[in-house]
Amino acid sequence: MILLLACFLAQADLGKEVHDKGWIVYGAKGPAGDWDLFVMRPDGSEVKNLTNTPDYNEGLPRFSPDGRKILYRRLPRGERFDNNRHGLQGELVIANADGTEPRVIGAPGEYPWASWSPDGKRIASLSSKGIALVDLETKKVTATLERKGFFQQMTWSPDGKWLSGVANNFDTGWSVARMEVATGAVNAVSKIDCCTPDWFPDSRSIIFSRRPGEWTQLWMADAEGKQRSPVYSEDGRHCYGGCVSPDGKYVLFTGNKEEDGDASNAGAPMGLLRLRDAPIVKHPSKPASGPVLVLPTAWEPHWIQPKPEKGK
Amino acid sequence: MRRALVLTLLLASCGKADAGPSPAKTPEGRPPSATGTPEVSTLGTLEVTATLVDITGQFPPNKLYDYVYVMKYKVLRTHRGKPEGDVIFVGHYNPLKPRSGAEDKFSGRIGGSVGSFRVGDVHRLALEAPLDQQMPMVGLIDKYIREKGVRYWAIWADRAAE
Repeated sequence: MILLLACFLAQADLGKEVHDKGWIVYGAKGPAGDWDLFVMRPDGSEVKNLTNTPDYNEGLPRFSPDGRKILYRRLPRGERFDNNRHGLQGELVIANADGTEPRVIGAPGEYPWASWSPDGKRIASLSSKGIALVDLETKKVTATLERKGFFQQMTWSPDGKWLSGVANNFDTGWSVARMEVATGAVNAVSKIDCCTPDWFPDSRSIIFSRRPGEWTQLWMADAEGKQRSPVYSEDGRHCYGGCVSPDGKYVLFTGNKEEDGDASNAGAPMGLLRLRDAPIVKHPSKPASGPVLVLPTAWEPHWIQPKPEKGK
Repeated sequence: MRRALVLTLLLASCGKADAGPSPAKTPEGRPPSATGTPEVSTLGTLEVTATLVDITGQFPPNKLYDYVYVMKYKVLRTHRGKPEGDVIFVGHYNPLKPRSGAEDKFSGRIGGSVGSFRVGDVHRLALEAPLDQQMPMVGLIDKYIREKGVRYWAIWADRAAE
């Protein structure tokens, strides 16, 4: 009883601690049964539906680095997001961060796995032909790179020097890898059964999912691939979609009991923890070894702390 | 005119290097391909008859994700193109599925009469390389990664007679 109360209080403290630390955007099922985009505070409060589009499913949102825009993919309602190919599906849309003025960029299937450049003026896109860096205003391809085995979940680092993604070319499939934008040189960050990589704000480390046994766990590693360490594991649940807070102190994730992340296409509760409390381990019959905030059911969340505008 | 047509057909039949006695039926109940179906004879740039000599590991269940699995073949005959050596590495898409049902909207055209993959079976394959440029954007399972050699993408895989 005392232990449960202590857990509850620790979670409440964590919630208070993160409340003002920006916004989280995520895809989730809305009241009409379709997938919409939502924003909330990192403690799960102030939830707002950004899209409200019963004819479409929206997912895979990413804030622009300045927090003023979001990009996401939009599908007809009859089409389901595929958990491994969601970045290839539907249309790429860019809207204001509050969901207004959505603008479709390209044809269905175009600009797959789009990821913002640090200045928000370009996107990196990954297709079977390679990696293209595209100017958003002119739609011109400003640079191309061989994809070197990258096949999904590519993200551009905050400093603009690197791309991370899931790759096939490091002795095995499903390695998390890093590519230098200037040279195209690649290195493995973590090999074998890894996915959903994303950057730490300093562009030196990567958060990702790794399945060393029955359940997929949340791990982090230096981007050179020299050292990796566990962040969170939960027996009975696969953890995916890690996203580090803009200040680098917390991590947000989602997951599911099904191996492919979301087989029933319903999303799963998000979790949030302090990186200084990691590694946290949770067994079904015991409370977690550190505080984990349980947040609304969602998929592929992204966290931003917009910089205050001048004069405000 | 009629005699010329019969003669042409006879010559064409005799001209097939791999034509032979009527082969036994496959476990799927269909006769293995002896002369090549239109698909296996036209798709890709390499066409071989080869024995499946090794499958390392087990195929993951398809409910997890789509994937390409690399298998090792020994080439018996080459019908079109030139393979790199007599042992080749071939990537099949979602190999737990019969080839006739493996094609999906991401795979591009694939198919054939192979129902399942068993070491020792002989396949007539239409192939293309490099695998990485041909296969869909999915995971690749290559247990032979330390063995050098071109990786081929299997477009068409028919059962064949040795």
